[in-house]
Amino acid sequence: MKRPTLTRGRLLPAGLVLAFAAVTALLVIEESDGVSLYRHAYLVPVLAATLLRGATGGTAAAGTAVLLLGPVVLPEIERSGLTPGALEGLVTLGIVGLVGTLGGALATRVRRMRARYETILATQRALAAAGPLELALARLRAVLAARLAVSDVGFVVRDGDRLVVSGGASVAPGSIAAEVLATGTPVFVPDAAGGPRPRRVFVTPLLAGGTAIGALAVERVGELGADERTALEGLGAYIGLALENARLTSRQRRFAEELEAKVASATRRLEELDRAKSSFVAIASHELRTPLTALQGFSELLVARRLPHEEVTRLAGIMRGEARRLGRMVNDLLDLSRIERGLPPTLRRAPVAVEAVIAGVADVFRRGNATHPIIVGYEAGLPHVDAAADALERILTNLVSNAMKYSPPGHLVRIRARAAARGGAVEIEVEDQGEGISQSELARIFEPYYRAPEAEGSARGTGIGLAVVKSLVEAHGGWIRVESARGIGTRALFSLPSVS
Amino acid sequence: MWSIEEPRRPPERSLFADTPIGLLSALAAAALTTLVAVRVGALPEAAMRVVGVATAHGALLATALAWAGAGARAGLMAVGLLAVAAAAASLHPAGALVYAGVPLWLIRGARAGDLGALGLARPVPWAAVSIGVAIGGFLGGHLLVSAARTFGVQLRLDALDVVLVAAAYDVGANVPAAETFFRGALFNRAQRRWSRSVALAMSTAAYGVRYLLDPLLPKSVELVVGAVFYLTLLSAANCWLFWRSGSLLPGAAAALVFFGAYRLLGPR
Repeated sequence: MKRPTLTRGRLLPAGLVLAFAAVTALLVIEESDGVSLYRHAYLVPVLAATLLRGATGGTAAAGTAVLLLGPVVLPEIERSGLTPGALEGLVTLGIVGLVGTLGGALATRVRRMRARYETILATQRALAAAGPLELALARLRAVLAARLAVSDVGFVVRDGDRLVVSGGASVAPGSIAAEVLATGTPVFVPDAAGGPRPRRVFVTPLLAGGTAIGALAVERVGELGADERTALEGLGAYIGLALENARLTSRQRRFAEELEAKVASATRRLEELDRAKSSFVAIASHELRTPLTALQGFSELLVARRLPHEEVTRLAGIMRGEARRLGRMVNDLLDLSRIERGLPPTLRRAPVAVEAVIAGVADVFRRGNATHPIIVGYEAGLPHVDAAADALERILTNLVSNAMKYSPPGHLVRIRARAAARGGAVEIEVEDQGEGISQSELARIFEPYYRAPEAEGSARGTGIGLAVVKSLVEAHGGWIRVESARGIGTRALFSLPSVS
Repeated sequence: MWSIEEPRRPPERSLFADTPIGLLSALAAAALTTLVAVRVGALPEAAMRVVGVATAHGALLATALAWAGAGARAGLMAVGLLAVAAAAASLHPAGALVYAGVPLWLIRGARAGDLGALGLARPVPWAAVSIGVAIGGFLGGHLLVSAARTFGVQLRLDALDVVLVAAAYDVGANVPAAETFFRGALFNRAQRRWSRSVALAMSTAAYGVRYLLDPLLPKSVELVVGAVFYLTLLSAANCWLFWRSGSLLPGAAAALVFFGAYRLLGPR
């Protein structure tokens, strides 16, 4: 900010001096007694000063004109009394004085009103641009420093728990800004620095909803009158509201963006789900038809031909296996239907010996499909679990089936059971030596219909098995988690409450 | 920014803090004693003039220096210099040259950096000083023209020795004492407590009172009104110059030029 100097804008004062000198010279040359019409020419420089410099210029010019005209008019009164000519001169003195003072006051008033309006517009523009609060305040500070013609201007604004300061490093305890923030009332200090010229300081609250959300600090080397302070109070209230509006708008914008992102994500999920369901229908139809075809074919063979007893036994065994597989699929579908309706699976819980169920499941797989060796291990003295035996069997069957589907033939599948370290539960794990599952896929494997992209081409499945397993485990009050490492294998670990 | 980063300073002390009450009382006592002595014929009339100059201007100057924190010795020094100058001037017109001692002593103090609080510090604001000269010239010229046209007063060009003695008094006593106190001290202090307008009104009123009480001012109504008019304008202009420039010199220049013109006025 430039410091005001006495000689800035020399053109106007020089012009005024010349005009006053010219009019005075005309009056002197004419040697009039104040009646000369030239006296009215004083109105020209007075009006110019009034319009261009407001109250100060108008009053100074009017005073000068009165001073210059006085020695012309007053001696006439001294000599001849209040003659018509002297009276005319006095009227001219009065008119010139009034034009200068009243016109100047009006011009200043209009100029101030306009300046206030322009300041509010500039403030609005500075705050309308997007960006963080710090940037908005820096822009506003630059605008106000230029418009208010002050030595320095600064802001302190509350932003949640922190104070954003523009025009200083931090708010000092005991400072005027801190006082205004605490009390919400403006403070004026006539001289802050004690320098050669007084440094006026005015700090006014930024009000929003009747509370101080910050403070506007203005410092000027020179006068900062009551009228200007009142205007600054109004500006503080306006900036407070504008900041609050900007804050609300920003929050609304952020909320809308978040909502938009959530809707887009939900739409994507729904589309995925829709695709998965379509895929599921196709896969499930195929999966259901395979055992049905086997049952239909073998049963027709048994009806149509007379086969040796051993062959009949073998075909009956195959038919029993296919019927069980069909039964499991139907059970899974029924459970999935309950899950989607928000209902827990139906359980008939009783004390169950985990070892027996594990052995039974392992036997079924060993007999039915000997592509993978299955090793079973139990901890000695394993407690019974409080579970539905058929549900436990389905859990294990699903996990072992997955382990065998997603690991190459010949690789080991291990089933182990142990009492939980903290007691009250039995932990059972099914481990394979397959390719493993990527970490990104692990998070989604319990979603209904979800199948890992790499699994879709390599193994059969409907994508509902693990969702059903999870709901069954959780319906027992247990938990399940899957750990996997690429190229090493996958381990599914779940717990069921033991019988106390 | 001060208002954000600095703790608020304690409020300013009273307007009249640091006034050298003891010295002022002593000066008043000296003036009263001299007055009584002159009235009873124990001392000549000239003694009253010497003591009057030393006590009146000394009181203003000493108070201004005390308010500026220059110390009690500076006040005593100012009174002493004024007394010596007034005595010398009363003995012989050429003795008025001794009045130069006061401004020279002030310049020395300003150069030493002791009088910054009174607006006497470097750099000299030459632009403001020239505006002060113009204002003083305008008011002085106006005074001469008005007085000549209204009262038929003529320029006193035939008694230049009297004019020069009066001018020396203005340079060494009248203007330095008035400007240091009414602008450098009173206006300066007041503008740091209240608005510029209040400070200007206070300083101008006190300035007017000082000259109305001056025994050297002619007591006719026309001249008193004229004095109030011009001194009010001069004081207002000097306050404005001090406020804009932060220096005492522009106002002092205006006052010197104005009083120079005033001294040229002769009897009708």
